[in-house]
Amino acid sequence: MFEARLTQGVLLRKLLDSMKDLVQDANFDCSSTGFALQAMDSSHVSLIHMQLRSDGFDHFRCDRNLSMGVSLNNMAKILKCMGNDDVLTMKAEDQGDSVTFMFESANQERISDFELKLMDIDSEQLGIPDTDYSATVKMPSSEFARICKDLSTIGDTVLIAVTKDGVRFSTTGDIGSANVTVRSHSNVDKPEEQVVIDMQEPVALTFALRYLNSFAKATPLSNQVMISMSKELPVVVQYRIEDMGHISYYLAPKIEDEEMEGDE
Amino acid sequence: MGIKNLTKLLGDHAPGCCKEQKVENYFGRKVAVDASMHIYQFLVVVGRTGDQTLTSESGDVTSHLQGMFFRTAKMLEVGMKPVYVFDGKPPALKREELSRRVERRGDATDLLTEAKETGGEADIEKYSKRTVRVTPQHNEECRRLLRLMGVPVVEAPSEAEAQCAQMCKEGLVYGIASEDMDSLTFATPKLIRNLMKPQTQNVPINEYDYDKVLEGLNLTADQFVDLCILCGCDYCGTIKGIGGVTALKLIQKHKRLEDVLASMEGGRYEIPDPFPFEEARRLFKEPDVLKGDGMPQLKWTAADEEGLVQFLVGEKSFNEDRVRKAVQRVNAAKSKSTQGRLESFFGPVSIKTSDTGKRKEPATGKGKSGQAAKKGKSGVGVKKK
Repeated sequence: MFEARLTQGVLLRKLLDSMKDLVQDANFDCSSTGFALQAMDSSHVSLIHMQLRSDGFDHFRCDRNLSMGVSLNNMAKILKCMGNDDVLTMKAEDQGDSVTFMFESANQERISDFELKLMDIDSEQLGIPDTDYSATVKMPSSEFARICKDLSTIGDTVLIAVTKDGVRFSTTGDIGSANVTVRSHSNVDKPEEQVVIDMQEPVALTFALRYLNSFAKATPLSNQVMISMSKELPVVVQYRIEDMGHISYYLAPKIEDEEMEGDE
Repeated sequence: MGIKNLTKLLGDHAPGCCKEQKVENYFGRKVAVDASMHIYQFLVVVGRTGDQTLTSESGDVTSHLQGMFFRTAKMLEVGMKPVYVFDGKPPALKREELSRRVERRGDATDLLTEAKETGGEADIEKYSKRTVRVTPQHNEECRRLLRLMGVPVVEAPSEAEAQCAQMCKEGLVYGIASEDMDSLTFATPKLIRNLMKPQTQNVPINEYDYDKVLEGLNLTADQFVDLCILCGCDYCGTIKGIGGVTALKLIQKHKRLEDVLASMEGGRYEIPDPFPFEEARRLFKEPDVLKGDGMPQLKWTAADEEGLVQFLVGEKSFNEDRVRKAVQRVNAAKSKSTQGRLESFFGPVSIKTSDTGKRKEPATGKGKSGQAAKKGKSGVGVKKK
């Protein structure tokens, strides 16, 4: 038996909205430690790792580890039917073939039950090694979303270059080029607006903007985003979910190709 | 045409071995393409109405070039690296099958003349498709086209599929593109079907995983070869009354083809004479291929725009605008850096299955294989040469 109650039900809706563009079907892993998901897009370029700790829920019960196969799109559709202030309860039997979402309005006047059929799917998993990244940037998540959106009007890839005083996003395309530089600055009154750069060595990597724009769908979940990079490693774009966990996106960089050039 | 009914058998008994893919997901992948088979297919399908095919002003058929050029351009555009493998000398055992095909072609030619007299349009198309033959000239033109496009070409000493399979086993390529199921009999780790179908048909690409085929059928590699021979391959005749399902049951029961045949002794099945299964088995297991250092180095270079225009537009009456645009798209794609994949950083993928819920119906179920069987009948199938 799995049961979890979340006062801020809307959180799960935001999470689903930030994942469904990248992945169609995925397994939610329920265990006594929490509610988690790891999934890759079909081209194996990006990976989502989501984790909500059990202590972040108002009530959490999981008798036995359970892997629930779900169509993210359908789950998102159901969660769209939830009110903004509703309390959400998820329930699933160990041997069952469905999961129930119960929405209770804040004043207890309206209670709705939605049942979603589960699927048996093979999800592809990767073992992600622990890495000390050579540069991490913490910045306002809305700023990051805006930069990705603005740059994709010009090109389809972005070069992210981190130096000790700032991070530069640049792109070129058929119609021209664009650069956005964000300088590190602190703001004691409004910590959510700070830009903090922690850097061992400068890093510059190129990524496909299409994926970063999908990641930015998680902006409503957190005021700040943390971008971690190391030379020749996938970037991690992480949104913290207060008191509960995080959603992290991994994206493989673009690489120079030697074989294509050849000698002519 | 490969192994009889293997697609259906796999769809029913090893549904996990086949995955649907999109062309775009193959960016950066090297893929060996069975050239001879695809040239034949292009000649049959591309630009055909009735018995008329695409020709140049001087009347030479150009369907193969049309198909080859635009499909290859599409692959290069998404960042794939194709390498084409051409058939060499067919093994002695296949000659019989080939001579049978020549015969059938002869019959079809007669039927075509007849159909033209009676004027049945569907019949004209059907029989004219059956008369299609790949000539050395077609092959030569395709080689020239590929060289101009900067795509490497490998000459197999014997069967192209066997050579492709070997390259895949050595890790030179990610998978092989062929419609022929006997690629799996040659133990190709990954077989990609429908990769060369035109985009307008919108057929999903099917990727077969050899290890999962064996796992699904619960056979060893040797038994799988025996199964294919029993189903009916290019090298041996077929046993009347034995289809895929019976063959699978027999192999699972008796383990070895020798024992299967022994059990049939005096039974209702008629084993054709000769039935050189040992020789066929050897051809599947140790085919004549280039190995290791014997392989030429594979190199992909920029496409020669002027050369292509001169060849395709000048000699073969292609539309200059379309050719130039395709070449420019290819060369633009080449100058871009390639997208990396997470596996190359984080190691291999493992599979996790759900504990609950229903399994989705596999896409390669009955509906599809029925369709494939129908295609085979109408002659648009994958007959070679």
